[in-house]
Amino acid sequence: MANVTHVRPAPVKRAGAGRFTRQERLAYTMLVPILGSIFLIVTYPFVLAVIQSLQATNGAAFVGLQNYVTGLENPLLYEALGATGIYAALVLPTEILLGLGLALAVHRAIKSTALRALFFGMAIVPLVIPPIAVGVIARLMYAPSYGVINHILMLTGVTHDEINWLGQPITAMPAVASVDVWQWTPFVYLVLFSGFLTVPRDEIEAAQVDGASGWAQFWRIELYYLRPLLVLIVFFRLADVLRVFDHVFILTGGGPGNTTQLLSLYLYRVEFKFSDYGQAAALAVVVLIAISVVYSLVTRVLPLERK
Amino acid sequence: MLVIAALLIGACQQAPGGGQKPAKLTIAAVQGNEDAALKAVAPLYEQKTGIKIEIVEFPYDQLYEKLVTTFKANSATYDLVMMDDPWMPKFGTDESLQPLDSSYGFKRDSDIPDVVYDVGTWPPPRGAVPPAAKGKAAHLIGITIVGNVEMFMYRSDKGAAPKTWDEVKANADKNKAANFYGYLVRGKATNPIVADFLPILWSFGGDVFDQNWAVTIDNAASLKAVKFLVQDLKAAAQPGPESTDAADRDRLMAIGQGYQSTVWPGEITSVIQNASVSQVVGKVAYIPMPAGPSGKGVGMMGNWLLGVPKASPNGQAAADFITWLTSTDTQKTYVENGGIPARKSLLNDAALNQKNPYFSALAKSLDAVPNWRPRTDQWNAVETILGTNLNAALAGTATPEAAVQKAADAIRTLMKGAGY
Repeated sequence: MANVTHVRPAPVKRAGAGRFTRQERLAYTMLVPILGSIFLIVTYPFVLAVIQSLQATNGAAFVGLQNYVTGLENPLLYEALGATGIYAALVLPTEILLGLGLALAVHRAIKSTALRALFFGMAIVPLVIPPIAVGVIARLMYAPSYGVINHILMLTGVTHDEINWLGQPITAMPAVASVDVWQWTPFVYLVLFSGFLTVPRDEIEAAQVDGASGWAQFWRIELYYLRPLLVLIVFFRLADVLRVFDHVFILTGGGPGNTTQLLSLYLYRVEFKFSDYGQAAALAVVVLIAISVVYSLVTRVLPLERK
Repeated sequence: MLVIAALLIGACQQAPGGGQKPAKLTIAAVQGNEDAALKAVAPLYEQKTGIKIEIVEFPYDQLYEKLVTTFKANSATYDLVMMDDPWMPKFGTDESLQPLDSSYGFKRDSDIPDVVYDVGTWPPPRGAVPPAAKGKAAHLIGITIVGNVEMFMYRSDKGAAPKTWDEVKANADKNKAANFYGYLVRGKATNPIVADFLPILWSFGGDVFDQNWAVTIDNAASLKAVKFLVQDLKAAAQPGPESTDAADRDRLMAIGQGYQSTVWPGEITSVIQNASVSQVVGKVAYIPMPAGPSGKGVGMMGNWLLGVPKASPNGQAAADFITWLTSTDTQKTYVENGGIPARKSLLNDAALNQKNPYFSALAKSLDAVPNWRPRTDQWNAVETILGTNLNAALAGTATPEAAVQKAADAIRTLMKGAGY
């Protein structure tokens, strides 16, 4: 057995008597602006929110956890959470399945670079339109009397009567969710299509030589490589769902009744309509903690790195 | 040391609210028809005084949020702010605005109806006063620049003016046909449905509160008004009234699919009387609110006011701008640019009525003394509660009785918590 000599790298000479090397100091110096920005943009407002959540709405009197108790006792919070859950259950699977299907179809069926670029360009369009504009357009499309959706459905014989899309609880939520699906499915498509391009070609070719079907290639190889991206997509989209506001506000204003009053709309009303700044801050803190717990659980269960 | 001393002396000599002439005044304004005339005349002020007027626009809800956060931070970002009149109690209670009478000598002008000044006065000079404002000296904190009052419109080519809500209902049923709706309900949740409902409520003798802030939205007269809107008028209304907002109502009216509805002046100028988008110019007439079982028709104030934030360092210059803007001469130019005045001399001017067929109805509505929304800093919350439950009743997800009861209970809890 040959002798193996382990050569340790020479210790980096420390400059001066400080605890850090020159390289370490340089690294920390370069990090200061970034950490400072994070502190200003994220940490400082969060600390302010926590302070506000412990204060009375009128004045700065310390009220302990009273705002948290008041906020969590309000049944409207749970109605809003329920509505948000239904919204998420509608949009997340739909967007992921549609985006995945589209990415797979384009990856498999379209080889022309120009056509792929065209698809890329088309997918970008919904992402750059402000949600408020999307809401206004969707409102016109769903409107009774002159809305194009009812017009097409009646023209094609799918229905004989106008559907009151935004005025009935059973159709209002799907109508609102459909706008989200239209706007964000392209995001899922773009991310997953990029993912398909990173799947090692040799593994696919080896599977083909072994006679693997297209489905088996997707299920056993490509999906394996896409899993971290899917987790990423769930993360991003879940965060977006909790922030959804503009198009819901434009389309239904949370109605009929409270049917489409999602969490963000509810928090907005607590803050700006009820002027209960303490309760709004408390609920924001609770939501932040809850979503952090969910994220940490998801990262433990699902793989974020390819092995 | 000399420089510091000079600065300190200079600062001490400066009049409260800022007596020096600034290079610029910044106005936070609502984006849309309401500030169009303001934008049109603002450059004239710069020509006259050399002070540039910068108008920063926000959509309705964002403007309110911006003002709340700006006032909360006591920021001097804006020298003047445009405010919807239901916001005045909030800003009055929070003492966010400078008194225009005691600080800058504003006085009432007999050409402008008293109710227009009353709506910009805090605490309110009549009606229920919030507990926190009782006993405080009343001050003028806002001056109306858009004399909005909610009125009524109907297709004058198809029928006569309704005098009562019963006639409104009868006309709605009579004129309803395929793709033509007897009454256009603005029923979208929260603010829109409440704006449509309150004139009906008051005309029926109901109200949200009595003079002592006791909730009355669930009494017999109020419930009758709710049923009239969500049952009687809905029966002749357009499909999907639950999601209809003002823009949808205007569109239906403008394309000739609506017979009648309530209307704000801004909707008239921007859509109904706008020949480039409307097919019904000359076919629609405007009248004050029809009378209800109470025997009177009650319109609703929706004035937009200008106020000077407490933190503005240019208070005097801002007040001078308001004086200039509301003067008779400037108001004539303002009206030529689509502005909605509150001056009786302009509203009753025959030539101006030719161009603006709603002016005489607006003058009559102001003369009749329209109601304002309850003067409480809790109004936004009350409106959200009431508007959500009315919308549920309109959509049929709750009975009128259940919706009214739920709203009343929630409003009582809210008001009790707020010290009423």
